[in-house]
Amino acid sequence: MYDITPLEDKWKKYKRRKRRPWYIGGMILIFLIFSMIFFLKNSEKYINQLKVYFTTVTSTVEIEEVEKVKKVHIKSNIVVNGPLMTLEVEKEGVDISGVIEVASTEDILVDIPILDGEEEDHLAKPKKAIHLDIIKTANARAFKDVEKRFRSSHDTEDSLFLARTYYDKGQYEQSEFWALETNKISPNIEESMFIFVKSKMKLGRKDEARNILTGYLKKSNSPKARNLLLRIENNKF
Amino acid sequence: MKSRYEAAKQVFIDSVDFEDYIDLNSSVAAYKQLEYSLDKPLKMILLFGRPGTGKSILLNHIQQKLKHQREIYYFDTPAVNEKEFFHKLFKVLTQKDLPNNTEVNFSALVEFCQGLRGKREIVILLDEAQMYDTEMMEKIRLLSDSRAVKFVISLHKTEDEDLIAKEHFKSRIWEVIELKNASREDQATYIHKKLLKKNLFDIANSIKAKEMKMIHHFTKGNYRECNKLLFTIFEICEHYDKNESAKINYTHIHSKIIEMSALKLGYINV
Repeated sequence: MYDITPLEDKWKKYKRRKRRPWYIGGMILIFLIFSMIFFLKNSEKYINQLKVYFTTVTSTVEIEEVEKVKKVHIKSNIVVNGPLMTLEVEKEGVDISGVIEVASTEDILVDIPILDGEEEDHLAKPKKAIHLDIIKTANARAFKDVEKRFRSSHDTEDSLFLARTYYDKGQYEQSEFWALETNKISPNIEESMFIFVKSKMKLGRKDEARNILTGYLKKSNSPKARNLLLRIENNKF
Repeated sequence: MKSRYEAAKQVFIDSVDFEDYIDLNSSVAAYKQLEYSLDKPLKMILLFGRPGTGKSILLNHIQQKLKHQREIYYFDTPAVNEKEFFHKLFKVLTQKDLPNNTEVNFSALVEFCQGLRGKREIVILLDEAQMYDTEMMEKIRLLSDSRAVKFVISLHKTEDEDLIAKEHFKSRIWEVIELKNASREDQATYIHKKLLKKNLFDIANSIKAKEMKMIHHFTKGNYRECNKLLFTIFEICEHYDKNESAKINYTHIHSKIIEMSALKLGYINV
């Protein structure tokens, strides 16, 4: 056999050519696998991009600031995009459609009970605890909730709040009752004594009020109690 | 030193030698069909198939098997011309040589054959019949009409199909036997049996099923192509055995050698 070497070379070429489709197929397969992994990792991003590509609209955006009564008109080309429309409003010129009304500060402010001049000084002092739900409100249910809570906790903050609020509202029998409840638990709270005395006065029981206040003054020698007694006796209440 | 593959190579030299005939399922079936057909009062029997499907060796085999039982003659190669064919036929029919400077009178030959009717039954096996021209085939048909001479005509399937298609010819061919390429199993048996006939058991065993499948793929089960491929395989093996023994595995003929052989024979290309 004289042609064995060329035959071997020919065979090597043949093998290379025979394996080529397998190599190409393998590479394509690897490429497809990697593409699929990449796509799956970024699919959400691409879907959003596709949505962006296909749905572009023009709209006018108007921002009205109610507090300052100032309207800002922003006109721009924006993209209707589900998440942006519903979740976020960007600062300037994008992603806002329609009129956005900024809530008035009045809606979010808490009414603080109005007290007399002397009592305001007392309130100015720092308090130990702040009860966020102790707010002035017309809602009768809120009073019921505070009363209920007081019966379980016997917290003088709650009873004093009720006494103060009823007094402000002109419900003097109620304010007298809650001032007394406060005093039963803690006789040293001066404000409860004053609300009790003032409620008696408003109910026309001047003598009772004067006797109670005189008794308290003897015990405490409080200047504020003396001042209040003076005002009662001089009919300046 | 003589290589063990040299003997294996010789086994696959293409021939129609009676000794080379291998009994396979398909060839045994064809043989039985042909033998059965010869017993029937038929004028002409057509044996056809693609080149290399074993027609010649089957005819040779049946002639060798039946030559002591009946008058059966095998015309292996077609005569160069009509004169030579009738010389051969004259000798078969009369058992005598044609005298010098004489020619066979066809009409007299037909009459002679008609005279033999009922006395003798002669079977002529005509191999490569596609090489006879139409006029010659017409004369063969006339001789077969005498009913004393029965012709088995062997021809390639693809060639001269027009000849068979001719109505007058078709009507006289009562039996058609088609030979086909070997199945993978038959081909493996053929290769093994051929090697074992020459006591080359180790080599036969070194061609495993995977390589048999590959050989069948390249040769499509054609016996002649199979012989060519096996011859080339053992030729390469012989070369490695003599010159580069590290490149050959004696217990397993590697597919590389089969592919190299296929490349050499043009079954595959780079």
